[in-house]
Amino acid sequence: MKPALLLVPVLVLVVVLLVACTSSSSEPRPRQPGTLFVSVEQQSAWVRNFNPLFTGAGARWPTRAGVYECMEVFLPSSGEWTPWLATAHTWSEDHRTLRFTLREGVRWSDGRPFTAEDVAYTFELLEKHPALDSGGAWRFLEEVRAEGTHAVAFRFSRVYIPGFSELAHQPIVPRHVWEKVADPVTFTNPEPVGTGPFTQVNVFRNQVYEMGRNPHYWQPGKPAVSALRFLAFPTNDQANLALVEGEVDWAGNFVPAVDRTFVSKDPEHHSRWFPLYGSTVFLYPNTTRPPFNDVRVRKALSMALDRERLVDIAMYGYTRPADATALNDSYTGWRDAEAANGAWVRHDEEAANRLMDEAGLARGPDGLRRMPDGQPLELELEVVGGWSDWVRAGQVLVRDLRKLGIQAHLKTYEFSAWYARLQKGEFQLAIAWSLDGPTPYTFYKWLLSPRTVRPVGEVAAANWHRFGDVEADALLTRFETESSPEKQKELMAGVQRRFSELAPAIPLFPNPSWGEASTRRFTGFPDARNPYARLSPHAEPDSLLVLTRLAPREP
Amino acid sequence: MHYLLRRLGFYLIAAWASLTLNFVIPRLAPGDPASAMFARFEGRVQPEAMEALRAAFGFTDAPLHQQYFTYLKHLLTGDLGLSYAYYPSRVSEVIGTGLVWTLGLAGCAVIISFAVGCLLGVFAAWNRGGWLDSVAAPAFAFLGAFPYFWLAMLALYLFGFGLGWFPLRHAYSHDLEPGLSFTFAADVVRHAVLPAASIVVATLGGWMLGMRNTMVATLGTDTLRLAHAKGLPPRQVMFRYAARNALLPNVTSFGMALGFVLSGSLLTEIVFSYPGTGYLLILAVRNQDYPLMQGLFLVITLAVLAANFAVDMLCLWLDPRTRAHA
Repeated sequence: MKPALLLVPVLVLVVVLLVACTSSSSEPRPRQPGTLFVSVEQQSAWVRNFNPLFTGAGARWPTRAGVYECMEVFLPSSGEWTPWLATAHTWSEDHRTLRFTLREGVRWSDGRPFTAEDVAYTFELLEKHPALDSGGAWRFLEEVRAEGTHAVAFRFSRVYIPGFSELAHQPIVPRHVWEKVADPVTFTNPEPVGTGPFTQVNVFRNQVYEMGRNPHYWQPGKPAVSALRFLAFPTNDQANLALVEGEVDWAGNFVPAVDRTFVSKDPEHHSRWFPLYGSTVFLYPNTTRPPFNDVRVRKALSMALDRERLVDIAMYGYTRPADATALNDSYTGWRDAEAANGAWVRHDEEAANRLMDEAGLARGPDGLRRMPDGQPLELELEVVGGWSDWVRAGQVLVRDLRKLGIQAHLKTYEFSAWYARLQKGEFQLAIAWSLDGPTPYTFYKWLLSPRTVRPVGEVAAANWHRFGDVEADALLTRFETESSPEKQKELMAGVQRRFSELAPAIPLFPNPSWGEASTRRFTGFPDARNPYARLSPHAEPDSLLVLTRLAPREP
Repeated sequence: MHYLLRRLGFYLIAAWASLTLNFVIPRLAPGDPASAMFARFEGRVQPEAMEALRAAFGFTDAPLHQQYFTYLKHLLTGDLGLSYAYYPSRVSEVIGTGLVWTLGLAGCAVIISFAVGCLLGVFAAWNRGGWLDSVAAPAFAFLGAFPYFWLAMLALYLFGFGLGWFPLRHAYSHDLEPGLSFTFAADVVRHAVLPAASIVVATLGGWMLGMRNTMVATLGTDTLRLAHAKGLPPRQVMFRYAARNALLPNVTSFGMALGFVLSGSLLTEIVFSYPGTGYLLILAVRNQDYPLMQGLFLVITLAVLAANFAVDMLCLWLDPRTRAHA
């Protein structure tokens, strides 16, 4: 090799840079009008997958609510169900059969009519392949039968009213396509056939994909948006940059100091709406370990926390301190005023100290509290290292706990290690999320039902703090079979009071549901004044409502 | 020929060893993939589905040695399995989305950095004490101490966001159809300038210093003195005699570097939203996506081994002494 060969790459480099600089002077190409740029998922490259049935798969947005549709859509802002593929539903006398009446005139994107057979077949698939049954529908279903072309009857194996939401939110797939699929679990469905507003894959490349309109969409004249375009951004930072620059029209990202970094850049068009519809974040004490088996200790820890400061420091003031029901704002109609007023979530150091003393955890001469056996009370609070908001929250919590005379330490773990410890109950204190559903039933079931308690060492899907209360569980069990809204509310109020009394876990704050929009090119986004859906595109299936409401701004 | 076979045998053993490590290391990490995946849904999926998820991913409680043999068998048939994080897409398909871009970007950057660095090193040693030697060399070494991604962020902010000279993200404009056209090629180059430059700037110093130091040593040898005394033109002495001999150590480390760029450029790729394999690797680790991890490590391993083998061959050709030993 002649070392002069080294000159070749250098020459190439010079030429290439010249080319780059000359082409950089070219004007940016204008955007296709009517194309909505959305940022939902964060990926460095797109992988083609439009399988709506397997939730374990990373199907491209909006597969589950956009390409495919469900029968009814729940609105957290009003607590109401909007008819979608079904126009109505009725329960039988004994509440063992649920009948959906399907909409007439709905067609699949290949032109074939949508019928009750498709609905029945979708649920048959879930029965045959339990991995597809993410809501566990066949735990309470016995039979699904098409009655004629536009009615479906679901026969329940037991009375289970909350099961309605699982059925109503299930994306429905066409029988004539899926019966030819060998394995629906591993099917990537590259050319989806759905009833939704956007079914045509116009472009699919590693950095971008574009979804075009369904030519046979059942809502006349809709969608008004001609296509959805998705650019690949590997992390929040890149997506936020594109949002601030105005390239992205609609996003569901966490944006730090959003009013300054995004809204103020173009106050007329840029808007954000962070309603508190996200899962409530808890400080979970492991109730299998002393001293957390003592309700006084749990309440004392809770009262030692300054949640106002916590929310300001950890969450940029985007949320509020949790009340004693721990419910987020999507359950506003369910909230019991008496339970919500529980004093144990209010900052009160004096009362906290008193409770600790009562629980027998007196301060030693050095001011540090000791267990009844004389051991100093040392606690470790576990959080995920990379989740900066929780790390900040943890730092605030540790400081508050130290004031109470507890030697608290913040310990950060890599996600999977943290999650394994959490699930197996091998922690003392941990910050984590909670589970949600259309009613608070799911939320409380996984906070205090003995049916969800797993022994320490065994993996638990939730109820990591391992707390069960028979009395609350009786109320929850009655809730499962109660169909009258007033009675449901009464039962749920009872559960809330039980929760507030027992303090099985320490609520910190409800998470906002992140949503940002720019109305420069499109109008019709939901906001606090017009909360017809959640703004966050992550919020499925209400994204269906947004996708069909948006319209390009008149030029 | 015998030498070649011996080297080949060595590489085969090295490949087997790294494949085995590939299998063992992810399984030593705590946690399990289904829970990691479930956690990403943060309550949007009912916990009841978790059992079914485990079943769908085909987690077996088969003894490790049995899993190991299936793993080897699948590798030999080129079947890398299904990715967990991108389930149900095939690992080969997932890696395929990014490999070309990473190879292109990182490969070009390393070659440029190597070429420019070595040339600068040659000149620096030739004019010892000149400005190139006393100013540029320490300056590049200083820049080399910064991590890639930090330089990348700085470049992105200054030249992309501030001055707007270069695009902020991606390997090509999203509204261009990829194809063999001049517009597309120019677009790709324009997008590659900042990420490649940040890698080049960060690695240039190493090559330059390495080259300069061996070159200085070579210049002091009798061969070179003889060449000068014979009255050979200085340019010929510099390149054909001094640089050729001094290049050898750098060529060896070039092989290593070429392999490591696949993993090393990962943060640069993330800063520029470059659709390479870097983000995949992070995602695979975060989601305990063993098949994807194994696939990526396999690619990296093979790249390092192949690059080293190529370098071995190159040295054989460049340095007659190695031929004599063989």
